[in-house]
Amino acid sequence: MLIQVEQLVKDYQLNKNQKGFFHAIKNLLMPEYQKKRAVNGISFSISEGEMVGFIGPNGAGKSTTVKILSGVLKPTSGKVIVNGMDPFRNRKKYVSQIGVVFGQRTQLWWDLPAEDTFDLLKTIYKIPDATFKKNMDMFSEMLDLHEFLHQPVRQLSLGQRMRADIAAAMIHEPAILFFDEPTIGLDIVAKERIREFIRSMNQEKGITMLFTTHDMQDIEKTCERMIVIDRGDIVCDSKVDEIRQFSDSERKLTVKFGRQYDRIELPGAQMIKEAGNTKTFQFRTNEVKIPELIAELMSRYEVLDLTVQETDIESIIKQIYEGGAPAYESVS
Amino acid sequence: MRAYLKIAQKSFRNNLVFRAEYFAALLNTIVTILVNLAIWRAIYEEEGGLDNLQFSLIVTYVILALALFQIFTMDEYVIEKKIKSGLITSDLLKPLSFRLHLFSFHFGALLYRIVLLLIPTLLLYSLVYRVLPPFSIEMFLCFLLSVILGYFVMYSLNFIVWLSAFWFYKTFSLVTIKDTAVLVLSGAVIPLWFMPQQLVHFIKLTPFDTIFFIPISIYLGQIPMDQLLFSLLRQVIWITVLGLIGHVLWKLATRRLIVQGG
Ligand SMILES: Nc1ncnc2c1ncn2[C@@H]1O[C@H](COP(=O)(O)OP(=O)(O)O)[C@@H](O)[C@H]1O
Ligand SMILES: [Mg+2]
Repeated sequence: MLIQVEQLVKDYQLNKNQKGFFHAIKNLLMPEYQKKRAVNGISFSISEGEMVGFIGPNGAGKSTTVKILSGVLKPTSGKVIVNGMDPFRNRKKYVSQIGVVFGQRTQLWWDLPAEDTFDLLKTIYKIPDATFKKNMDMFSEMLDLHEFLHQPVRQLSLGQRMRADIAAAMIHEPAILFFDEPTIGLDIVAKERIREFIRSMNQEKGITMLFTTHDMQDIEKTCERMIVIDRGDIVCDSKVDEIRQFSDSERKLTVKFGRQYDRIELPGAQMIKEAGNTKTFQFRTNEVKIPELIAELMSRYEVLDLTVQETDIESIIKQIYEGGAPAYESVS
Repeated sequence: MRAYLKIAQKSFRNNLVFRAEYFAALLNTIVTILVNLAIWRAIYEEEGGLDNLQFSLIVTYVILALALFQIFTMDEYVIEKKIKSGLITSDLLKPLSFRLHLFSFHFGALLYRIVLLLIPTLLLYSLVYRVLPPFSIEMFLCFLLSVILGYFVMYSLNFIVWLSAFWFYKTFSLVTIKDTAVLVLSGAVIPLWFMPQQLVHFIKLTPFDTIFFIPISIYLGQIPMDQLLFSLLRQVIWITVLGLIGHVLWKLATRRLIVQGG
């Protein structure tokens, strides 16, 4: 296993800021801390060449996990081993073997053209001329960097900046890449480009990747495996395909009835929503066949209109967050 | 080592980007010196009996002090900005020493100021006023050494103030207090010769006069041979003391960052 995380816990200390002058003085002299648990004993492992998506709502603990994995934050307890090293203890040696991209900030020199940062990185990581040129050519082609490499970074669009940042994190050919929300704030086209690039780097170069996102599309389009994290706990760790299969068999049936029914019974389907005479049911195609279900419905009740909808992965994830999706457990 | 030189080089270039700010800084330096010289001239004329040599001494002092003051000016908010933006984490992700990285950044800016501010200003004023040459070649070499030491005193003091950003949300007030103390106590505006004895005794207990006053006094040959070594030693001692305080604070700051996440 390339990345191994066991029972990882991270507590932040929050300064209990009470208002008022005396409290401020007291805080300065005797700070009172409140513990805030960001990561609550998570375990997972990632093998070489894998690409794993870390998905969860805001505040779930994704960034905290990435920071710990990249060695800039010390875990409260638990074990983290990456490439045989403790990221935190061996920081200086460790950091040259990984690449990290934080979507919300840039490591590029803001007032200089992006090429200056690349030039600096070349010296910092002692990259040989030939390797540097080869990589720059590759990135330029795949990410169209040449279009804006000479412009000051502050003039770049978010999408361009992000592409340059990703290339900057990869210029020293790290074996492992961590991305923290690399697509945040980008439009569809820009997102798609980055997904495509990440995917091809994983497939062609075999770089192990872990990236966080709160956009399910990111995961569906790039990863084979996803880990769902919520409030510091891993609530699901499985193959994207399995979840897709699960979602593929789930359907929603929305029916508008001709008159008021107090009670509706439809074998194999559960009612999940009700708005006047319009009711929504959920069922699984491997449990009931659609024609049979509809025939049953028509024979028992007066129906004005009906639609059948597929469930997308996104709503499954939502159900997982909300602690629902009991049927899901059979899959994981 | 090459990486740090490269950082200094990029920092130099980074400063070149801001043309308008450059001209503003140059103008500021020139005008500040002009105003100060005018004030000193007025004082001398008031006192009467203008001694030419004494006045040249003052002129040279004022020009050197204010020019050095300009080039010892540093971007005081680099650390604060890095903490607020979270970029400090990205710096820790580099296989570099953060403190050397930071110093290289300021060093690049210093070179920029020397080349583009100090040299033009000195050239201009040596044409307009009678600026005294260094007291002697030996004193000039001592002066150069002392200026470098003075820069390190200033830098170590600044570093301590900057690090407070790890604990305070804003460092603006602390920076302002430090700036005022330096301006008044270092002899950047008023040579220590003109200050009350008691204040001078106090100043000699602080690092402030080792920043500008000692180097310029050496240049002017105002420090007797037997006190020269002691003056240089005071600079070294302050660099050590402030450096140690900075080191301890830095250790505390990184621990906080690493445990607290900035
Ligand atoms: N430096 C910090 N100090 C205190 N609490 C923090 C800090 N960073 C994050 N947190 C808290 O920890 C939790 C997890 O944060 P984070 O890992 O940033 O989540 P995510 O990246 O999934 O949005 C949140 O509740 C957040 O408020
Ligand atoms: Mg985050």
